[in-house]
Amino acid sequence: MPTHTPHFPDLLFTPATRLRAWETALMDLLRAEGYRELHPSLILREPLEDGSVATPYVQFFDGPERVALRSDFTLSLARLLASRFTEPPPRICYAGAVFRRPTQPWEAVERFEVGCERLHLDRADDADLELARLLMAVPGVLGLKGGLLQLGHAALLRKPLEAEGVSPALKAAVVSAMSRRAPHRLKEALKGHRAEAALSLHAELLLADLDGAASLAPLTRSPYAGLLEEELAELHRAAKALTPLLPEGLTLRIDPADVEGLDFYTGPTLRLWTEGAQAELASGGRYDRLYPDLGRPWRAAGFCVRLSRLLDLADTRPDLFTELP
Amino acid sequence: MSPLLIALPKGRIGDELVPRLRGTALALDEAALKSRILHIPTATPGVEALLLKGADLPRYVAAGVAALGVVGSDTLDELDVDLLELADLAFGACRLALCAPRGTTLEALTSKTHLRLATKYTRATEAWLQREGFVAELVPLQSSVELAPLLGLADAIVDLVQTGSTLQAHDLVEVATLGHASARLVASRAAFLADPARVRPLARVLEEALGEQA
Repeated sequence: MPTHTPHFPDLLFTPATRLRAWETALMDLLRAEGYRELHPSLILREPLEDGSVATPYVQFFDGPERVALRSDFTLSLARLLASRFTEPPPRICYAGAVFRRPTQPWEAVERFEVGCERLHLDRADDADLELARLLMAVPGVLGLKGGLLQLGHAALLRKPLEAEGVSPALKAAVVSAMSRRAPHRLKEALKGHRAEAALSLHAELLLADLDGAASLAPLTRSPYAGLLEEELAELHRAAKALTPLLPEGLTLRIDPADVEGLDFYTGPTLRLWTEGAQAELASGGRYDRLYPDLGRPWRAAGFCVRLSRLLDLADTRPDLFTELP
Repeated sequence: MSPLLIALPKGRIGDELVPRLRGTALALDEAALKSRILHIPTATPGVEALLLKGADLPRYVAAGVAALGVVGSDTLDELDVDLLELADLAFGACRLALCAPRGTTLEALTSKTHLRLATKYTRATEAWLQREGFVAELVPLQSSVELAPLLGLADAIVDLVQTGSTLQAHDLVEVATLGHASARLVASRAAFLADPARVRPLARVLEEALGEQA
């Protein structure tokens, strides 16, 4: 397995210019909406002291001390904010590189990202809509001709699994099957569970359709429809509010079967795709459990634009962009 | 618009699949099939099939080069690739089995101090060993695994068994079943989500032509 380029890409002229131009354009967009930049250190020392550093980290020795490179902005920022602020700054943004062991052999270890977060003390539905509206502006800022904004909700699967007291191992199997949209694997995983019938029907309904707001219609037949009333209403409201604002070329689609990051996200999730991309170009959502775990009763939501993937896409599919820096 | 590619496997599953596609919107061009080209036109303009080795196929789909594909679940379970697995097509069914020279029992194998198992399916074998609480050294082989116990490279093998005739020819018998495998309809996550109008109808054609009810 290669451990050099492209895992640690050298950007020569054109991609370097693109990266700088895109970072600048995205940060300008965020600053214009009141987001203030934070730049956490590239080096992580804290998690290494308690021995909790797991495999995603790139580690090395600083003298006798073992340290790691920042693997994710959200966690780095959360640690920084929870230790330095007593009140949450409402809007923050960031740009830079993260270093993470890849799960796929062709993924880079060094990845360039720009992102933002909304932090608040009380419930704020407008924060999720604000982030969705901002993400809708991202393709235009980058010169992407079109795209697909996918709206999901982590609670649509998590709440029924919690309500049925599903074990962590079974939950992992169900999430893996749902992530693959594999009904047969789901059936296999749930076989023999006391809530097999109800959970199977619910999962089948989550997987039923991908056609806009209509995707939510089958879920009214779910055995968990009552439990998910609030989440379904939230998704309806979001689709209604966002649809008229869609820029040309961007499609909004509700995907109730989106289960990526289910352990992290607690509410609405957002993903930006485009035809021809090998992976999502931006992703985010609500993660209300992160700050309470760090001792702060704050709620949070945000998204991150994966600039490394956009650089690859611009290189292989320049036709997908109106203009490239 | 660039052609939409469907990745189909060569070999065991491919042999069963080609006749099932005849007469459908994804029937493969017979003249191209007889040639050595691996890029085959289908009955639908703008849709082409790629004939690939099963072990390579998931990579093409996961990377979005091919929007859809058909591959054995045994291959999928050995790889860590991000793709959608839309249906169990149920054909090409076989079992993953622990096989040993005639007269050997599971108990005899697992009580060995140093058990050596030759297999192409190291991940599935490791998972089974862990599940059952057995310990073994795995000898990774890519083909002709049946030779390993006959020539002393391993005590037994873990391999796919469909009819059992290859085992019989090498005087091997099944001593345990590790799991079952069959052909699966897979899709690129990006293509399925970003281009559903083009991809989903073709996925339905494949499922109807190749699925259990076909």
